[in-house]
Amino acid sequence: MEEHLTKAGGHDTQERWGKLLVAAQAGDAAAYGLFLRSITPFVRAMARRRSWSEDAIEDVVQDVLLTVHRVRHTYEPGRPVKPWLAAIAARRSIDALRKRGRVTRQEIHHPGAYETFADPDANNPGAAASAAALEPMLAMLTPAQKEALELVKLREMSLVEASAASGQSIASLKVNIHRAMKKLRLRVGKDPAE
Amino acid sequence: MSGRSTEELIAALASEAKPVKPLAPPLKRALATLAMLAALAAAAILLLSDWSLLLVRYAGREHFMLLEIAATLATGALAVTGAFFLSIPGRSKRWLLAPIIPFVAWLTLSGLGCYHDLIVNGRSGWQLGPSLECLLFIIAASLVLSLPLVWRVSRARPVDPVPVALLTGLGAAAFSAFLLQFFHPFAVTFLDLAVHLAGILMVVAAMALLNRRALAPA
Repeated sequence: MEEHLTKAGGHDTQERWGKLLVAAQAGDAAAYGLFLRSITPFVRAMARRRSWSEDAIEDVVQDVLLTVHRVRHTYEPGRPVKPWLAAIAARRSIDALRKRGRVTRQEIHHPGAYETFADPDANNPGAAASAAALEPMLAMLTPAQKEALELVKLREMSLVEASAASGQSIASLKVNIHRAMKKLRLRVGKDPAE
Repeated sequence: MSGRSTEELIAALASEAKPVKPLAPPLKRALATLAMLAALAAAAILLLSDWSLLLVRYAGREHFMLLEIAATLATGALAVTGAFFLSIPGRSKRWLLAPIIPFVAWLTLSGLGCYHDLIVNGRSGWQLGPSLECLLFIIAASLVLSLPLVWRVSRARPVDPVPVALLTGLGAAAFSAFLLQFFHPFAVTFLDLAVHLAGILMVVAAMALLNRRALAPA
């Protein structure tokens, strides 16, 4: 479909696009919707030539559609639509490439970047690794133990609040937290007294 | 971009499909704008300038004066027309080259005029006239002429505003240099010409920088 539309031979397609765009200029919403839908494969094919990922292609396609919306009054009825549309798509693809170039020149990816806090003491580059190590340990716990641990230790609820939230009695919460902590300590291999 | 899908975007845009008036062909819009600029220039020349000074300066070289003025006007007219064409997506990029030949002819003819003065006046042909005034004139006149130009060109919301801004700047500077001829009571020396050229380049660069934003789609 896309390949077909990008070939030079689409005279009928161009004529149809021209009619739809003229109707859109007159305020026909249905024709406009149809026009935008029928040009999307062509725009996507043009964006794909200069793009690096599917997400980026879709961003460019949407940017082109927004631009088409803003400059639809510059289409001169009777002239071919494709050169008009191709110029917009090419321009927006180049703009996206330049924007990407600017971002990658000035920014680097760092896995800990999102874990940075204003308080230097709160920054813990090893936190992500610790969280990853904790996950298999939590898998050893029963659902009730996991829930009790999460509500009381992580969300810092009181036993009364945790009981109301989970439906477990205060006594079972205490037991579940105790057992969960014991299991975790054994797994980590540390002395429970530590 | 936002997390919405392309289909959602199309539906949103289609729901905003208000009628829009297609722009007239670029040549027609360019000619209308040039006519407006011509009226402005004619009013300024008739009301404010002193024709006799121009005729004295080019005495015996009237054909030369006409050629120089024609080259200046052709540069301005082609630059402005090119700006209107390039403001429409898909129009030929060759419009960017259109004013080059008259621009070179204009600079060459101005240079020859300076050379002529150098022979006639000897060493004084190298002196700097009241060039700061010329520089200010070119900049001020370009600003005045740029306003209607930018207003007219920006109606197309150019997708690629830099070439449009360059041509708009060159057009405004060329018309300002044309106007300057009528307010220039002394022979142009090479240094004066360099100052004129600096003024033109300043206007073109400033227009390119400022108009890139002014002309860019919102």
